[in-house]
Amino acid sequence: MEKGQKPDRKLNRRDFIAGMAVTLAAAGAGAAALSPLIRAEEIPPLEDVLQKHYQRLTPEEKKAIFARLEKRILATHGVQATIRDPQPLENAHFAYALNIGRCIGCRKCVYACMKENNLSRDPQIQYIRVLKMKKQGHGIDLESAVHDYPQEEAGDKNYYYMPVQCQQCENPPCVKVCPVKATWREEDGIVVIDYNWCIGCRYCQAACPYHARRFNFAKPRVPGAELNPNMGYLSNRPRFMGVMEKCTFCLHRTRTGRYPACLEVCPTGARKFGDMSDPDSEIRRIVDKERVYVLKQDLGTVPRFYYVFAK
Amino acid sequence: MNNSAAGSSGDKNWGLVLVVPACAVLFILFVVFTLATSDEPTVAQPLEPSWFTPTTARGEDLQNKVMVGSCYLCHAYWTGLPDPDVVRPQFAHSAIQLDHGANDRCYNCHLIQDRNKYTANDGSGIMHTNVEQLCARCHGLIYNDWVAGTHGVQRGQWMTPTAFERQNFKCTHCHDPHAPAFKFEKYTPPPVWPEQIERQRAEAPPPSEKTE
Ligand code: HEC
Ligand code: HEC
Ligand code: HEC
Ligand code: HEC
Repeated sequence: MEKGQKPDRKLNRRDFIAGMAVTLAAAGAGAAALSPLIRAEEIPPLEDVLQKHYQRLTPEEKKAIFARLEKRILATHGVQATIRDPQPLENAHFAYALNIGRCIGCRKCVYACMKENNLSRDPQIQYIRVLKMKKQGHGIDLESAVHDYPQEEAGDKNYYYMPVQCQQCENPPCVKVCPVKATWREEDGIVVIDYNWCIGCRYCQAACPYHARRFNFAKPRVPGAELNPNMGYLSNRPRFMGVMEKCTFCLHRTRTGRYPACLEVCPTGARKFGDMSDPDSEIRRIVDKERVYVLKQDLGTVPRFYYVFAK
Repeated sequence: MNNSAAGSSGDKNWGLVLVVPACAVLFILFVVFTLATSDEPTVAQPLEPSWFTPTTARGEDLQNKVMVGSCYLCHAYWTGLPDPDVVRPQFAHSAIQLDHGANDRCYNCHLIQDRNKYTANDGSGIMHTNVEQLCARCHGLIYNDWVAGTHGVQRGQWMTPTAFERQNFKCTHCHDPHAPAFKFEKYTPPPVWPEQIERQRAEAPPPSEKTE
């Protein structure tokens, strides 16, 4: 062989070609492996990556972050948004009641929620799932539950309609499984997510017995014209690809004393929201006087979302 | 084995002849791809405004009832004593179909002397702005619920410094007093679930089977 004859020769033609081939192949393979990154729909800016956990942010840092986010929203959506961070109300304990006897399954809450919380329109993300279940004597035929019944099948007297959303458990399994503590329960009972801290492992989605958490598989898309400019840092600011999100009882509204969007849009008044620690509130009256139950009580999650079985 | 031998020895190096161009092509393809594909995000479809705008069952309906408060137009000149047993008026109000269960007399609700008002228990009138007082006569329990906020919808502030920040809907915003069974037929379409969780639906029996 030539190689054996002249060991000190610099570089022969064959080795050069072979080397080039290997280099090219490596480059090609490497590039192919990395290509998803280059085509990634969203790469977080460095500041976002370096940002601290929400609970460790000082007010000044928050201010800077909010200003940065607002600027970014103006650039991407052309909307001057205001990001606020309402803190839990003192001694408030939010709860929700939903009267199944009255719900007609019109699903307006679902879309009001999408609008209010800037949920991705494409791919569609919805926090509320409305189950349609056949009435069976005095009970419910759970086997017949469907959540994607067509529009024309709403308002059927032979069915119950049961909207399911985040139950804001007092003992939330999703919080327990989060490996990075990106989700936690606030003092007023709302379970929130720091979208910047979430690593998108989806453990919480698996842990939630109510299937209430949603994952951004793709970059969430919201038309700028429809963006709700009244944003809360922990609730409806634009999310990123690869993070979890879920219902927060519209905390940017409820913590400032307003009703959640799903309640306001409900044409039947099946939805009731309020502060459990206020003895005169609607919610307190319902929980005191009506037949209420919670979903999957046996799991010990202690939801703050009550279902009422009354007219 | 044979191939690698051919690649490393022999005059005609077929292996390399194939590999080098293949790699080159791959590389060029990759470069072209990454440069050329600027995936312009498809513009998301906006939601239909009627899907999320709050409406009550009779919202628009009520606005068409221009006659409310102007019954004097005809009834001021009413001469003959009205018949208290009328269930279905003949000429003027033939559009009204009373479907209120046992409550099937016009004058259960409308004041006989003054059509602009509703009948109270003591024979006096209830103005239209207090129409819930009329319903309260017979639906006391529900009226109590309504006052407490558990029947009907409220909009605005749940935490109320002043009552003005809360919008409470009257009974007639949702119930037609003449045919009060709740009717609301503005439904919205089902969700379009992302493909990742499509499997769950495939496991369930197809909806077409169920309806049959
Ligand atoms: C266009 C003129 C006109 C107006 C306006 C009008 N009415 Fe009448 N209404 C009549 C006539 C005519 C009759 C009787 C004939 C009939 O039975 O239709 C009548 C009958 C009635 C009756 C049945 C009484 C009976 O003994 O037959 C009631 C109740 C009534 N009106 C209520 C009202 C109320 C309430 C209003 C206001 C919201 C109103 N009307 C406005 C023309 C009118
Ligand atoms: C349950 C009580 C009740 C009864 C019974 C009732 N009404 Fe009415 N009616 C009302 C109320 C409340 C309104 C106010 C308008 C509204 O909310 O639609 C009204 C409105 C009207 C109006 C004006 C609005 C319209 O729909 O054109 C007429 C006319 C009228 N009533 C006629 C009658 C007649 C005629 C009868 C008997 C056949 C009758 N009402 C029975 C409660 C009643
Ligand atoms: C004079 C008494 C009386 C007044 C006033 C009255 N109702 Fe009724 N209402 C009844 C009776 C009786 C029934 C029961 C009907 C039945 O069960 O067949 C009823 C039934 C109803 C129902 C249930 C209907 C159904 O099919 O489910 C509604 C809703 C209702 N009323 C609403 C109202 C509203 C709103 C008002 C005020 C505008 C009102 N009612 C005023 C007597 C009254
Ligand atoms: C937000 C709209 C809304 C308002 C406001 C409202 N209701 Fe209702 N009401 C409903 C709905 C929805 C039902 C349930 C209908 C059903 O299940 O088919 C209902 C049911 C009823 C029933 C029948 C209850 C039964 O047991 O069948 C009565 C009676 C009634 N309402 C009276 C009233 C009275 C009186 C007022 C005012 C004080 C009032 N409603 C205000 C939406 C409303």
